Order: sequence, then C-alpha cells, then structure tokens
Amino acid sequence: MNRSRILYHMVRADFLERVRRYSFLLTMGFAIYLGYAVYARQVTLRLDDYRGVDNSAWLGTVVGLIATVWVSLVGFYIVKNSIQRDRRTRVGQILAATPMNKSFYTLGKTFSNFAVLAVMVLILALAAVLIQILRGEETQIALGALLSPILLLGLPAVAVVAALAVLFESLPVLRGGVGNVFYFFFWTGLISISVTLVTGTQQPTGLHALQDFTGIAVVMGQMQTQLHALDSQVRSAASFGFGNFHATTKTFLWTGIHWTPALLFGRALWLAVAAALALLAAVFFDRFDPAGNGLRLGRKQKSVASNADVLDSQSSGVEPARASAFHLTPLLRDASNRQTRTRFFSLIVAEFRLLFRGHGWWWYAGAVGLFLGCLLSPVGAARSGVLVAAWIWPVLFWSQMGTREESFSTGSLIFSSPRAVPRQLLAMYAAGVLLAALTGGGLALRLLFAGDLSALAAWGAGVLFIPSMALVLGVTTGSRKPFEALYTAWWYVGPLHHIRQLDFMGTTAQSSTPVGYFAVAALLVLAAYMWRSVRRAYA
Amino acid sequence: MRLAIESVTKRYRKGVVALREFSLDLKPGVLGLLGPNGAGKTTLMSILATITRATEGRVLWNDTDIARDPDVLRSVLGYLPQDFGVYPNLNAVEFLEYLAAVKGLDGAAARRRIDELLDLVNLTDVRKRPLGGYSGGMRQRVGIAQALLNDPELLIVDEPTAGLDPEERVRFRNLLSDLSGERIVILSTHIVSDVEATATDIALIAQGTLVVHATPEELLRSVEGKVWEWVVPSTELTAVKQKFLISSTTRRSDGVHVRVLGEEPPTNAQPVSPNLEDAYLFCLSRHRAGARAGAAA
Repeated sequence: MNRSRILYHMVRADFLERVRRYSFLLTMGFAIYLGYAVYARQVTLRLDDYRGVDNSAWLGTVVGLIATVWVSLVGFYIVKNSIQRDRRTRVGQILAATPMNKSFYTLGKTFSNFAVLAVMVLILALAAVLIQILRGEETQIALGALLSPILLLGLPAVAVVAALAVLFESLPVLRGGVGNVFYFFFWTGLISISVTLVTGTQQPTGLHALQDFTGIAVVMGQMQTQLHALDSQVRSAASFGFGNFHATTKTFLWTGIHWTPALLFGRALWLAVAAALALLAAVFFDRFDPAGNGLRLGRKQKSVASNADVLDSQSSGVEPARASAFHLTPLLRDASNRQTRTRFFSLIVAEFRLLFRGHGWWWYAGAVGLFLGCLLSPVGAARSGVLVAAWIWPVLFWSQMGTREESFSTGSLIFSSPRAVPRQLLAMYAAGVLLAALTGGGLALRLLFAGDLSALAAWGAGVLFIPSMALVLGVTTGSRKPFEALYTAWWYVGPLHHIRQLDFMGTTAQSSTPVGYFAVAALLVLAAYMWRSVRRAYA
Repeated sequence: MRLAIESVTKRYRKGVVALREFSLDLKPGVLGLLGPNGAGKTTLMSILATITRATEGRVLWNDTDIARDPDVLRSVLGYLPQDFGVYPNLNAVEFLEYLAAVKGLDGAAARRRIDELLDLVNLTDVRKRPLGGYSGGMRQRVGIAQALLNDPELLIVDEPTAGLDPEERVRFRNLLSDLSGERIVILSTHIVSDVEATATDIALIAQGTLVVHATPEELLRSVEGKVWEWVVPSTELTAVKQKFLISSTTRRSDGVHVRVLGEEPPTNAQPVSPNLEDAYLFCLSRHRAGARAGAAA
C-alpha cells in the first residue's frame, strides 16, 4: 500500500469515527447557529456607520471572517481530542505496533481535524448563499466573490487550528487543561496582532502576512480604501463581532477582496505553517508509548508503565497463594440506612482531597501567594485584581467536577452505591465551593472585617456560581474542555474587564450583580442533578 | 436472603435484545454464570448491579423490587464490573477510602477493613503507590477489594480473574468459595475452570435466554455416557471435526486423542468421565440446534 493510500485511510477512519458521534451534530449545530447569527445580524461587520450591501462579496467576507475568528476558537476545542481518543480507546496501541510513521500519524490527524473544521466552514458557505437569497438586497449570486474569502481566509486559518490541536495533544504539558486555558490566551494574542494591523496603511503581504492570522487586516484595509472613495468623511472605525448594539445606518457596495499574488502568497504561508506545526507535533508525539514523551531528553522519566513492571515483579510471587483462610471484620449494618446519610461530610472531604490529586507544589505556592495577595493588598485592588487572578488559578481543579466518572470509567463503581447520584454530586459541588472559598478567602476576611456586606455578597455569589458552572458543564458533557474554554473566555470578558452582567465575581461595585448569580448557581446545580438523574437509569 | 429475577427482558436501541424473558431464583452460594461472548451476561450483571434498568420484568431483592428502591440492594451490594477504571493519582488506600465514603461507610471501620482487604488481595506492600503505576492484574485486585468494602450480601463479579496470574487466580477462587457461605455470589465468566472450582450452582445463558440452571453435579450427570475419547491419525482430524462435536484434542505419539460429545459413540471410541467443559459445550450445542430448528420451522 502506498503512502498516500495509508494517509487516506487514516484520515478517513478518523473522520468517519467523528462524524458518527452525536457530538458532531452539536458541532454542526454550532456552525448553523453562526450562520443564523449572520442572518439575524447578531454578527456584525461595520465600518463607522456603514455595512455592505448583502451581496455575495459581502456575505462571503463576513463568513470568511467568522471562520477565521470564531471557528478558530471554538473549533480548536472541538477537534482537540483525536489523539486522546486513540489513547482512550486503545486503538493507539494497535497503531503503534504497525509500521506507522509518526509524522504520517500527526499529518493524518491534522487532515482529519481539518476535514471536520472544513465541514463547518462549508456549512457557513451554504448559509451565506441562503442568507443572500432570503435578504434579497442583491439577488445575483457570484460564486467566486462568495467563496474566495471563505476558502482563502477561512481554510488556511482552520488548517492552522487543526495542526495546533495535534501539536497541543502531542505535548504532555499542553495535552490537558493547561493547554485548553493556554489556547484561549494564544488565540487572543493572534487576534490582537491581526486587529492592530487594521489601523495600518500597508496591506500585510509576504512574510508580514504571518502577523495577520485572521486576514482581517487585508479585508478592512481594502474595505476602508473602497469606502473612502465613496465617502471621504468616513472615519477608520471598523469592527467585527457579536452584538448589534449600534445599528448601521448606511450601506455601501463592497465588490470583494482584490486578491493579489502577494496576498495569495500570504494566505498560502499559513498553510505552510499548518504543515510545519503538524510535522513539529511528530517530534513530540510519543507514539502511545506509556513510558513517556516521544522527544527523548535524556532525563530520567518517571512513568506509569515502567513502575507497573517493577510493581508487578515486586508483588508477584511475594507470597505463595494462601489457603482460603482469611479474616474480614464484619461491618455493623444500619437497617435504616441512617449510616449513609450521616456520613455525607466524609464524602465531601474525600471529594475535596480528590480535587487536589496530581498537581505540583507550584500550584499550592501560587494559591497561597494569591490568598495572601487578597489579604494584604488594598481592598479595591484585591477585589478588582488579585481575586480575579485567584479565581482563574484553580480552573483545572474545578474542571474535573462531574467528568471524572466518565474519563476514568469509575461510574459503575460509584453509581452502584446507595444514593450515589445526589450524595456524590452535592459533595462534589461542596468541594468545589470550598475550593473557591479558600482560594479567594483572603478577600472575604477583609470584607467581613470591613463590614462591606454587599461586596461580600458578590464574593459569595462567585463562590457558589463558579463550581455550579463547572458541575453542570462537566456532568452534561463528560469533558473538562467546555468548562476550561468557556470559563476562561467568560473570566476574560466579564471579571477581568469588569463588564456588568458578565462579572460573576463582582470585581467592582458597578459591575456586581450577585442576586442573579445566586439564582443561576442554584439553577445550574439543579440542572446538573436532573441531568445526571436522567442519564443514570437509577437516581 | 433471596434474589429473584422474574421474566427480565432488556432491549437496547435499534431493537437489539440482550436478555429475553430471563428468570432465575437465587439463594446463598456461588452462582457461576456461563455463556459465550454476547450471551447477555454483562447486561444481566448491570441490571442486578442497578446500573441499568430492565426493559420488562423485575428483579426482587428480599421481595423488594430494585427498580423501585435500588438503595435497598445497593447498601448490601459488592460489584466488580468487567471494565472499570481507577483514579491514577490516588494510591490503593486513598481510592478505597474514597469509595468507602461514597458507599457511606464509617471512617474508622472503613480504614480497618481496607487494611484487611489489601492484605487479602496481596497489595499491602504497594498500598502507597499511585494506582496509575499498577499493572492490569493489580488493578483487578483493587477492584476485588472495593467490591468487598461494604461486606456485601450480594457480590457480583464479572470476569473477575481476567488479567490475574495463575497464583492470584487460585487465591481468588478460594476467596470466593469462602465468601459464599453467608451471601449470594454471582460469578460471570466464560472460563469454565473458574466455575468448576467455586460454583455451587451454574446458570448457562445463550442468546439472552437461560439455557439451564442446575448444580454442577446435575449438569455433569446430564452428559454422563455422552463423552468419548478416540485416537485418530492427525490427517483425519479435519474430517472428524466436521462430523462430531469436539470438546478437546491432544496430540500424542500414537495420534490425536479426540474428546467427542454425542449420543452415539464413534467407532472404537471409549467412554470417559465428563467434565464441566463437556457439559457446557453439550448444552450449548443442543440449545443452538434447538434454536436453528425453531427458526427453520
């Protein structure tokens, strides 16, 4: 079998496995929602008071930007599971025993990721055609003008995301929650660099195109030039995003991006970046070797499997198989089952201890530092700054909530216990609340002594809300990623920028809305309980 | 102490029927649940362990319907699933302490019991090592320990000896025999020798239905006079396999010793004492023949 055929089958099998999962329907649902958001003008591209006439060029450009900006964020979390799936299903071990080349594998996974994301982009392209027909501002569909921005802006961007997902999965440090949180900031950085180019006068071409991941600088630059020719009074205020807070009042005819060879080269460079990232991933990919990383650094690697061999040799044959005589102390059984009710506290302690497993000393040092920062810095700074940091620090702890039973396959052990669903769920939530209260506890002490009850209420709302969000997302998805991605994004937009309604920590008096978050927390815990009850045949 | 399974049917999505009108009545002792792959053993275990509900029929634990009040059974249930996971960053003691808390056990009693159980499954030496470093057999032993945490009255073990070395396997068989006196133990497996060593009762299940429920002695009696041993040249082995139901073959210097099951002996075959594997194969082949005849009719 030649190499291209091997690659084809690797991509095909992975792609089919994904599209036959229910989660793929959610992915498609998200793409359809984005299309709807364009139709409902929830996603707006504007220049000053102008928007483009809804022709093929304009809608193609909007959809192309959605692909580069939004699909590049959400898509990463959607596809960052392909190597993990092979690891979990143990298919990886079978693959590792074949002559499979590491770079072939990471390239195959990148192609498969790309195929999934490309399907999303394709749905958006179809949506663009539909929107143009429904709006009817311009009835003639120009396929070239419609598809070129989608293909030339969107596809290179999602190719990079596809390769980044494989690279993150290949690097042990970025494979888990750290990678999920880190990507958000990485993505923010990529977008920010693109956006800073918008105000520039030069089109980012050649190697400078590597600063414009989204292609937004290309789009905005040409749009501004075209618009200035029509209206010299227009300012350079351009925006693209969700929300329609200030409706546009004027329209202009956008004829589409003028693709010069330099611009095309710039977009092609991103494809080359994607290929390079996929090959780089092969360097770190461990080929499912349980003994550790693919990149041999020469240092002693502490590994699970190598320990297993040692342990097995230690324990096997240590004693001859004893005769059947053994002694187990009988347990006193409480016929009324009061036993299980009164031992709820010990379950909270057990869940709390479980949250902390597998994290290094550096995490505790950071948490103590942030606690002391809350306690010792001026109250205003502690509330609006240190607390914000203190409550992003445990994100990888909260994200475990509700997912462990799925990810470690312990559900059958736990849910065959009496009243396991309500007891374990509430104990887990209580442990999450305790974690929030401890990490942000320095500020609570300050507010308590100062008698600032309204600020204390806002703090309390945060304490209850954060774990409730983690719990409901964990229980409903069985994955840590949704909480890690959504919480980080929300934390960035709301508390960090003190945006009212979104500031669940109440970082300032103006942005604080604790009553709403108390209510939402209660509803989320209830939703988590109901979901788990329904999912488990017995509750 | 009584577990009654009454006409239980389990239908999965897309119409797959894993269990069909399955009934069984159990009292203290070890029930060996035997059957080929896909027979419905694991589905039955899951229903009895209150992990999944029966589509039709009911399961009574001391006359209480477990679908209505699963906690009555759960508080006295020990369950070792076929596939289960552990938290890799916890050590054996911490993991068992966690499960003891989930099961609602008193802290001091749980700690004492965990010590005893780790000794019992021969993991005392490695009790402080993270479970992520355990081999498959060692994890299986942790699974056995957790199933015994709450001193269960009903112990359900699904393929418990999978991954155990021969020594640990013998140890576990002995353990099961000793446990059976005051509780109901259900041992699901396709390893006949495990059942042979421990079971006081055997239920044979195939295609989601109960083929036979009997004591090992009754099962052996059912194939008395139907097992034959016969020496054939190795060149004739293929032809013999097509003609007879073969239980086992052993190559020796005088040819291949073939163990054959059937009402009538092959020419020159000698009668031999049946074992449980013979009985298992015989019952299964009779059931399949019946099913084929039913389908043809």
